[in-house]
Amino acid sequence: MEEAGLLGQLGINWKLFLSQAFNFFILLIVLRAFVYKPLLEIIKKRNFKIKEGLEKAEEADVRLKEVDVIAKDKIKLAENQSVEIIKNTEQKAKVLDQQIQARAEEKQKEINELLRQSALKQKEESESQVYGQALELVKKIVAKTVELKPEAVDKALVEKAVIEVKKNEI
Amino acid sequence: MEEISLKAEQIFSILGFPITNSLFLTLFVCLILITFSVILKRQLALVPGKLQGAVEMGVEALLNLMESTLGSMKKAETYFPLIATIFIFILVSNLLGLMPGVGSIWIESHGKEVPLFRAPAADLNFTLAFAVISVIMTNILGMMAIGTFKHISKFINFSNPINFFIGILELVSEVAKIISLSFRLFGNVFAGEVLLTIIFFLAPYFIPLPFMFLELFVGMIQAFIFAMITLVSISIHTAEHH
Repeated sequence: MEEAGLLGQLGINWKLFLSQAFNFFILLIVLRAFVYKPLLEIIKKRNFKIKEGLEKAEEADVRLKEVDVIAKDKIKLAENQSVEIIKNTEQKAKVLDQQIQARAEEKQKEINELLRQSALKQKEESESQVYGQALELVKKIVAKTVELKPEAVDKALVEKAVIEVKKNEI
Repeated sequence: MEEISLKAEQIFSILGFPITNSLFLTLFVCLILITFSVILKRQLALVPGKLQGAVEMGVEALLNLMESTLGSMKKAETYFPLIATIFIFILVSNLLGLMPGVGSIWIESHGKEVPLFRAPAADLNFTLAFAVISVIMTNILGMMAIGTFKHISKFINFSNPINFFIGILELVSEVAKIISLSFRLFGNVFAGEVLLTIIFFLAPYFIPLPFMFLELFVGMIQAFIFAMITLVSISIHTAEHH
């Protein structure tokens, strides 16, 4: 094991030296494979995810504000539209009301006209009925008068006729 | 008082390959770290648990430090495995070197009593291996980053005598870096061991406690310094020079 000279006195031995170097490289390879590489990858991945999350959160914030503005605009528009619709409906209702009133008045007039014509017709019919009956009565009176004495009959006839006429008029 | 040896003591050998107490503890460190990494790998999830959270905290702290030194997160992520492994390996080795049993459990080997465990960084083979790896890897990474010829031209440059001389100085500084890195770490940890051994010998109860804390601190600082010097070296070698 002993090396000669100064190196030997200091304990330097090329086998030990190489084995220490070998140990170092073995450890370097193991640590690189098991610790450094996966750990750095995880840190990078996490940083990326955090960055992505923050960006998305900011984007969401901006979108939320935009959506808020859009919602406010839409509500305002809807309010305006509803006011407009109510106004239009009121106007239409007024027009419709006027039209219905006009139509009702017209109908009323038509009904009145029909009633008037019907009453007139009824009057005419009753008048013609009265005339027919009067005529029948006069015929009957004339026939009975022919059978009786003219002087007595005349008087009674006249009185009877007058009474009959009065009755029919009532 | 027990004998303090500058060299790591051989405890046994496998097929003629010497296993020193320092290498023995290094193998333990490797085993612990490999087990830990396998456990961590099984627990890895997008929503971290306590263990993963703690590891991620450390990883992110080191990555941010590397980013501020190297100038970009991409570079930091590329060189992270090397720097992190150097830091973790040295840190765990230094911390394990302070555990009860290290330096206090003795076995008989080759006819003399030797400690079963010794702090890995209290062996020059360990620190020298790390220093050589650090310097070689920084140069390789430099070549990969700016091109082989451009990188070599930092050391061997015949464009003018001044640049040639600077190149030689750069070359010497790389060798000096190996020596300074290895001896700094070795010196600090070995001195800590010696200090603790003496304190334990003089006053075994309570008094060694502040020194233990000091060594804990020194162990962490040395791991950090080693990793940072390597990081700065990478930063210099991977930057385009004008």
